[in-house]
Amino acid sequence: MDALVSRYSRPAFQNEGYSKEDQQQALQDVAPPLSLNFALPPVASAASWLRAMTDDHSNPNVPIKIAHGTTTLAFRFKGGIIVATDSRATAGNWIASQTVKKVIEINPMLLGTMAGGAADCQYWLAYLGMQCRLHELRQKRRISVAAASKILANLVYSYKGMGLSMGTMCAGVTPTEGPALYYIDSDGTRLAGNLFCVGSGQTFAYGVLDAEYKYELEDEEALELGRRSILAATHRDAYSGGYINLYHVKESGWVKHGFTDTNPVFWETKLKKGEFSNVTANLD
Amino acid sequence: MASISSFAMPSEAPTYSFAAAQSASGQPRQHGFYPYTDNGGSTLGISGDSFTILAGDTRSTSGYNINTRYAPKLFKLGGSGPNHEGSKIVLSVVGFAADGNALQERLDTIVKMYKYQHGKDISVHACAQRLSHILYNKRFFPYYVHAILGGIDEEGKGALYSYDPVGSYEREQCRAAGAAASLIMPFLDNQVNLKNQYDPNSGPGLEKVQRVPKPLDRTTVEEIVRDAFTSAVERHIEVGDGLQMMIITKDGIEEVYTPLKQD
Amino acid sequence: MEVLLGITGKDYCIIAASKAAMRGATILKASDDKTRSLNKNTLMAYSGEAGDTVNFAEYIQANIQLYSMRNASDLSPYEVSSFVRSELAKALRSRNPYNVNLLLGGFDSIKEKPELYWIDYLASSAKVPYAAHGYAQYYCLSLLDKHHHPDIDFEQGMKILRMCTDELKRRLPIDFKGVVVKVIDKDGVRELEYIDDKQILAP
Repeated sequence: MDALVSRYSRPAFQNEGYSKEDQQQALQDVAPPLSLNFALPPVASAASWLRAMTDDHSNPNVPIKIAHGTTTLAFRFKGGIIVATDSRATAGNWIASQTVKKVIEINPMLLGTMAGGAADCQYWLAYLGMQCRLHELRQKRRISVAAASKILANLVYSYKGMGLSMGTMCAGVTPTEGPALYYIDSDGTRLAGNLFCVGSGQTFAYGVLDAEYKYELEDEEALELGRRSILAATHRDAYSGGYINLYHVKESGWVKHGFTDTNPVFWETKLKKGEFSNVTANLD
Repeated sequence: MASISSFAMPSEAPTYSFAAAQSASGQPRQHGFYPYTDNGGSTLGISGDSFTILAGDTRSTSGYNINTRYAPKLFKLGGSGPNHEGSKIVLSVVGFAADGNALQERLDTIVKMYKYQHGKDISVHACAQRLSHILYNKRFFPYYVHAILGGIDEEGKGALYSYDPVGSYEREQCRAAGAAASLIMPFLDNQVNLKNQYDPNSGPGLEKVQRVPKPLDRTTVEEIVRDAFTSAVERHIEVGDGLQMMIITKDGIEEVYTPLKQD
Repeated sequence: MEVLLGITGKDYCIIAASKAAMRGATILKASDDKTRSLNKNTLMAYSGEAGDTVNFAEYIQANIQLYSMRNASDLSPYEVSSFVRSELAKALRSRNPYNVNLLLGGFDSIKEKPELYWIDYLASSAKVPYAAHGYAQYYCLSLLDKHHHPDIDFEQGMKILRMCTDELKRRLPIDFKGVVVKVIDKDGVRELEYIDDKQILAP
């Protein structure tokens, strides 16, 4: 009886409008946090639909052209790890940007590189940075490069076949591992190694890098080799160019060594060292 | 009865093998679901020392038809009331107008909600990152838009962020997007970032000194924007009718509309 | 996965061609010579579609030799390159074009300069200081960009060639069974012994 009375003694409009919970829900609805709930197109095969809309490699006339990244390299040597990239982003034949930061500073100790879809790399490496920080807060110590790279590899593997496109390298120096370098791509491959080049200019960078690479390189030699390998790739690969972005990862964290325009570096290399002899200035 | 109907006229319908052969041919398969259209137009943004200018033409097209001569591509974010009073962030979107509007609505709600929750205006930096995440949230069903976001950063300097359709973003000095991006961007490279401009007093070859870009003043930037659009109108069919400019300074947003050629 | 490489130096031109003759997933022969010398001072290396390659090369060889016999003088490398290019261009516009990529190395005895021509199956021809065809382009051109200079001596040239073949052995997924190396200089064409049995692994 009391229950009945209380039920009908409340004003009728009390349940109208939003409750506290509803309000909270509404707030979250308009403002989803960095989340893993992605909108999907209302079709049977989301992946092939996405490919039809965005894959400019198989069809140059797709409506949405996603910016792509290009030549990146990283190698381990006795002084740490060198990470170097170009800075060009292309959408089809259009150079979308010449100033892309393809080295992503995950945290002061960890670097990631970006090749493939620019947004994929930016978003997921930012997500990785968040996971690394959470690991630090929960475990009260810094994450190893092996663990960080595994988080990323497992993550992209869970999206396999959905159309993610990324080839990335994770570089960092930790007390337990020393200098550590991992290659991760959107197929789900994860490899530890001494030397990787990723992107459409990879072979050109490998050509220069392999010839003079050894583990016992001095810091200056290693930086110059990284720089020169990117220059070689920007010269031969049309999808690479812009600026050379150079980093050195040490035990104390990473150090940035400039964002240098390739054009003056090229002419200096040609005219002062006599390299690139196939480029002739005079017409005969 | 069944035996009679199985004797169909030979020319009545394509035989099974004929149909199968057709589907097996190398033709690309047409997808039934195509939720996009390109509404043309162009946008552009340039940031200066203490201001950011965003501009866009107001023509909306579909194919060779002009839908309207006044469909703004620039949107104020946050602020109060339907006119966004007190707003200091501007979003420009070009591409598919419906997606652009949806995106604008979403980001506007977030900017307003941020103020209600935190009691202060969102910074452009945070807003820029948030926009990236909104775009990426539709990574598998993208917004068909190129977005540019402009505002004033926490140091009082002009801030400009540009986006690809799925949310990769970068802070830049200038950016053109949309149909005439390939016409305007090279002009901006040359006039704002002084690309391929060398000091005439420097020597030849390696001694040639690249001119160093410095932040431009407001009148110069406005001139550049106008020149960019009047030129684009001359050479691109999807650009024209009107030029909408928003100048964002620490005091707020000034909106200027000037007509462009209507043909 | 055929490899063709060419390097010019101060007074010589080196041509290297992979020794593997491949059909599908099979290596039919591991000592194939993909070169033909056309006259005393020009050598042509070829790669491309099976059948087309040797047929085209021997047709060119026969015609160049015929010219030498009739006129008692050799065509210069530049003249040879023009002839080759025109034959390839003619074939390209015919019913059955040749699908052949070429490197033409030579020594011009009048100018006393080595010459190298890069020619592809679409009959583009370019005079270059160093060249490659096939996958070798992707790995070796950047390396040659860095290490090649126009006036290098023979030892340096061979050192660069070694860097190239080492890189290919390191990075190409398929074994191309080493290379045949030939040199063209003022004394004509000669084959070099090229010891290439060291295993090279990616770091």
